[in-house]
Amino acid sequence: MGLTLTHFVVLGAVLFCIGLYGALTKRNAIAILMSIEIMLNAVNITLIAFSFFNHVKPYSNLLTGQIFAIFIITVAAAEAALALAMIIAIYRKRQTVDVGEIDMLKW
Amino acid sequence: MDLASLIFWIIAVVLVAAALVVVGQRNIVHSALALVVVFAMASGIFLLLNAEFIAIVQILIYAGAVTILILFALMLTRIAGQRVTNPNARPLAMAVALVVSALVGLGIIFAATVSQFAQSAPAAQLLQGTVCSLPSNNVIAIGQLLYSPSCYSYVLPFEIATVVLLVAIVGAIVISREEE
Amino acid sequence: MYGLYEYAWLILAAPLASFVVIVFGTRMADLWSRHHGQTAQDYAAYLREADPAFAAWEATRGAGGHAEQQHAAQAAGPAEGTAHVGHGGEAEHQEHHGDPYDDDPTVPYLTPWAKLSGYVGIVLMLFACLYSWLLLFASLGLLPGTPRLPEGGITLFSYTWGSDAAFQPYTIAFHLDNLALAMTVVVTTVSLLVQFYSQGYMASSAGYARFFAYLSLFAFSMLTIVFAANFLVIFVGWELVGLSSYLLIGFWINKRAKPAEERPAPASAALQAFVMNRIGDVGFILGIMILFATTGTFDFATLAGSGPHGVAQAFAGNQALLTLAMILVFCGAIGKSAQVPLHTWLPSAMEGPTPVSALIHAATMVAAGVYMVARTFALFSAAGPQAFGVVAWIGGITAIFAATIGLTQTDFKRVLAFSTISQLGYMFVGLGVAGTEIGPGAGMFHLFTHAFFKALLFLGAGSVLHALHHAMHREVQDMRLMGGLARFMPITAATWLIAGLSISGFPFLSGFYSKETLISLAFEHGDYALWAITLVTAGLTAFYMFRAFFLAFGGKGGALGGIWGGPYRGEGTPHESPVTMTLPLVILAVFSIFAGYWVGFFQYLDPHAPLLDLGKLFSDGLTWLGVALSLLGIAWAYVLYCAVGWERVHKVVEANAVLRFFHRLLLHRYYVDTLYDWIVRYVVLGLCHVAAAFDRFVVDGVVNGVASLVMELGSGLRRAETGKVQAYMTVFFGGIAVFAVVVFVLATLR
Repeated sequence: MGLTLTHFVVLGAVLFCIGLYGALTKRNAIAILMSIEIMLNAVNITLIAFSFFNHVKPYSNLLTGQIFAIFIITVAAAEAALALAMIIAIYRKRQTVDVGEIDMLKW
Repeated sequence: MDLASLIFWIIAVVLVAAALVVVGQRNIVHSALALVVVFAMASGIFLLLNAEFIAIVQILIYAGAVTILILFALMLTRIAGQRVTNPNARPLAMAVALVVSALVGLGIIFAATVSQFAQSAPAAQLLQGTVCSLPSNNVIAIGQLLYSPSCYSYVLPFEIATVVLLVAIVGAIVISREEE
Repeated sequence: MYGLYEYAWLILAAPLASFVVIVFGTRMADLWSRHHGQTAQDYAAYLREADPAFAAWEATRGAGGHAEQQHAAQAAGPAEGTAHVGHGGEAEHQEHHGDPYDDDPTVPYLTPWAKLSGYVGIVLMLFACLYSWLLLFASLGLLPGTPRLPEGGITLFSYTWGSDAAFQPYTIAFHLDNLALAMTVVVTTVSLLVQFYSQGYMASSAGYARFFAYLSLFAFSMLTIVFAANFLVIFVGWELVGLSSYLLIGFWINKRAKPAEERPAPASAALQAFVMNRIGDVGFILGIMILFATTGTFDFATLAGSGPHGVAQAFAGNQALLTLAMILVFCGAIGKSAQVPLHTWLPSAMEGPTPVSALIHAATMVAAGVYMVARTFALFSAAGPQAFGVVAWIGGITAIFAATIGLTQTDFKRVLAFSTISQLGYMFVGLGVAGTEIGPGAGMFHLFTHAFFKALLFLGAGSVLHALHHAMHREVQDMRLMGGLARFMPITAATWLIAGLSISGFPFLSGFYSKETLISLAFEHGDYALWAITLVTAGLTAFYMFRAFFLAFGGKGGALGGIWGGPYRGEGTPHESPVTMTLPLVILAVFSIFAGYWVGFFQYLDPHAPLLDLGKLFSDGLTWLGVALSLLGIAWAYVLYCAVGWERVHKVVEANAVLRFFHRLLLHRYYVDTLYDWIVRYVVLGLCHVAAAFDRFVVDGVVNGVASLVMELGSGLRRAETGKVQAYMTVFFGGIAVFAVVVFVLATLR
């Protein structure tokens, strides 16, 4: 039957949903961060799959999906660094990483 | 079933399982370890898709740097006497999250497989700049696409990405610095 | 050709000019001439310090009692502040007399600028008066080289809004004809005399300059009515006289009500007059609207003409509507001329200064209703007979109604007020029964004569009040505290006697001619009920006028059988008023005698009307029946108040249940005021409460409800801002989920 784009897109969608579910349900800020990383990975899989299954010249030569994935990895790394720094800063102030208790922006 | 399919299915099953472990584990350290598996399996998918460079980068940055970073953060934010380190939200919130996640995922799958948008091919666009003849080596091809000063390349976004990284480094230091 | 007449607008401009000069010139100077915002009292104290001559003058005045020349010198409170003050003032005497009433401040000394204000008003009014008399003589053909006015009159001034239209209904136009001229003479003459008189009467009242400004404003407003060529201008003047009346009734704004004497505060009396007039004016303006909507013009001459805009053509086949319109127009006259049922404001208006009562509420403004009906006489004639019927019957009912009330009133000015209402009723009877062949002459003739003798009666009453105020140091209007004043103030008494005889229709005085003509007209035209009413009213008029005269000036035991002098029931010693006040009395007395001898008056107003037939008047037995009734009234008054004496009459009335009932009924003015009070209190205010409740609960409820709904919604929505990042994220992806469902549904439906 062979692999098609749909396989990878569905895989990415499943992975994205798992990450989304985790991001919505976890109370530990670091766990949320990890879930977000899963979501990003899901997106990367999708992008690279599109790149792989693109046979239209000259676009298929440009590897646009892979380049996008590289930038996503770059930004994700930066995001992870910043997010963890913020979590540590909040932990210092409030002695917690529970997002349910971090609600200083409420009414 | 060819070999590629076999590998895909193995990797996919492990990948989804590991992701479920990440989300479902009550111990955050176990989650973090499962996350390493997720990254590694994703890297395998990339290899399957002829993206060797990204696969390597995935291992280096995600499975190496980010996971280590997360583990350090876990150590720094340890709360004494806490048995459940990775608690869940209230059941109602979990049900809502489940419904939302399922709907989003089904929407994506629907859009990618069934809907008419999945069938239409991309329209040919006029490309600006000269496309160099790219070698079949994925790493070299990516290098040319990222850095080439003469051919069609992503050198400007790349430079901007470097600035983003610099800002992130400085910002992380500033935010997490102990105040005197 | 009509050069002399063309400048008649100067008569109108003169009072306006004096109003402007006083308000913006001399009154300002008067205020500024006092040092640093001092009151007049402070100014006197300042003068005492600064000017030894003033202190010496004041000291002699304080020691010298109440000599005549000091009244003439406009004397008021002396330095120690214990002696008399003018009618305006009792504030500083409260502690001395324990008087429960407070009053407007008085001035011990008029500044030169205040006096100048008076002089400005008087001089300009003198000019207007002389000019109007000149025009009157010219229009009578007595001035060689000047023609009579044409029958339709001449236009003095006309300004049209919207100049290009072929037909312009909105016009400010002034018009002079014989009717206007006759009224002008009355207005300017009485105004002049009243202003002259006010120099003495108002000498110690604060706001002297303001008073003259108001008088000038009134004269201007009244002349606007007189010269008006269309309904727009007459309505403007109508409201302006209402305004000046309001200002002048409430002139002593600080005076309180005196419930013991059933006297309202001037401020509320002014308000009452204004509101009552509004009621009539609603009818007036509705009538004008009907006329304008049907004919398309306001102009009197056009309306009366036979053109397409005249009522004759415009209302052809729809006379009932014209009749309704004219009755509505007459409602304005009912209000302004204090006819039943809108009469109650006029007795209350007596709270104003007496010169004001004489000018506005006796001679001129209240006669504006009569003048207006006379001016629109042709329109009333064109309407159905019901229009004139309403005019006549309202007049007749008012005449006898007010006359009976006048029988029992003890307040000197109120007797005169009801007398005024009654006489105005006569005028409307005259207008209503006259018919087209005589025209408005009969009613206007009575207006003409009445203006003089009624002004005289009021000014005489003012003279008495002035004297009593100086004698008793408080405001006294109750006739039971007078008596025998003829001994003290012979000029006032004599002139008042002349006026009283004149209004009673005593033969050969002016009132005789105008009133007996009215009564005989009613008989000739077959209105026997009205004839009987006016005849009886004539007797009643004579009775209450002489009741007042005997109570105030005569009394049992006086000279000439109690006619001239008698026991004085008040305190202190009254003195004759200064010459500034007695001179107008004498002049008006002359007019009161001779004004009735203008036998061509009917013809003057309407060239087709007959002359006043003196021969028929004197030979008609019915005339002498009226005179006999009047004399009977006088005699009965003499019997009761000179022969028997007021106290015994009072005892007899109190002892007899029937008499007591009628006395109470009349004394309380048929309880009309009480009824109106009740209506206002329970009906009008009840409706107001309903409206207020509607406003509060429905209108405000909607507005506040919307506001609080938004507030509640906002504070509810605020809860959505939980501050929890996962909540935001759930909502965000929930939106995407909804979007996904929508896309799914749409895509599958295709």
